[in-house]
Amino acid sequence: MPAAGLTISADRKEITLEMKDVPVIDQPRWPALDSIATPALMTFKMVWKSTGDPVQYENPTQQFRFIGTRAECHLEAAVSVPSIGFAWKSDPIGTSAASFAMIGEEVNGRYYSPR
Amino acid sequence: MKYDLLIKKREDAVSTPSRRSVLKSLPYLTPALLARRIAGQQTTPATMTSNGGGDPYPIPWLDKNGSHNQPAGPNLEPSHIYHFKGLVARCSTFTGMGTDNQGNRIAFGTPTTDYGLMQGEYWAARAPQQGVFTHI
Repeated sequence: MPAAGLTISADRKEITLEMKDVPVIDQPRWPALDSIATPALMTFKMVWKSTGDPVQYENPTQQFRFIGTRAECHLEAAVSVPSIGFAWKSDPIGTSAASFAMIGEEVNGRYYSPR
Repeated sequence: MKYDLLIKKREDAVSTPSRRSVLKSLPYLTPALLARRIAGQQTTPATMTSNGGGDPYPIPWLDKNGSHNQPAGPNLEPSHIYHFKGLVARCSTFTGMGTDNQGNRIAFGTPTTDYGLMQGEYWAARAPQQGVFTHI
């Protein structure tokens, strides 16, 4: 994605991801093999805010380590499917919620070394 | 026999080499073509390398099952990219409401609705790469 769509606060505790008119496909019956895919456009803004609660996940077998915090996450979006005249817009961003969110730094694969 | 004579007559009539005449001269042409090819190789300036593409590696144990991500959750690999170091933001079990252009209220999100963001360095094509990736 274009880096311009990403805003990170100086303390790296708030992340805003914003993109406009992203070409996507509308495929309501996915993952059915015969589900019809229709070109659509999506505009969205997503905001992660750290709660400050520290988390660390590490798995030497799978070679990854994540160090960060839990977060709150909110999303607002608008979708249009021009070929069928459908459009949808979410309520304001503060009304949505994710029950699990986190932000932080990760290393995996060749960048990982066990502690 | 008649067939051979007709071929011979046609060869004589045309100025450009026929298939038969080319085949007859093949033993003499082959060394000449090889020599030309060798000469061409000697003037090629760069040697081709095979470093693979610059696209990120998938997470191996997800990729082997045909998937490139898994829901965000405790103790689960949060990145969608292997050989990666950088910022990761994930969320899952998203819920919200919205309205369509007919005035119908339609909810969005399910227990498996998850999003991901990765910004940083990843290894591909035998070199470090920089990128920003999102899964929506």
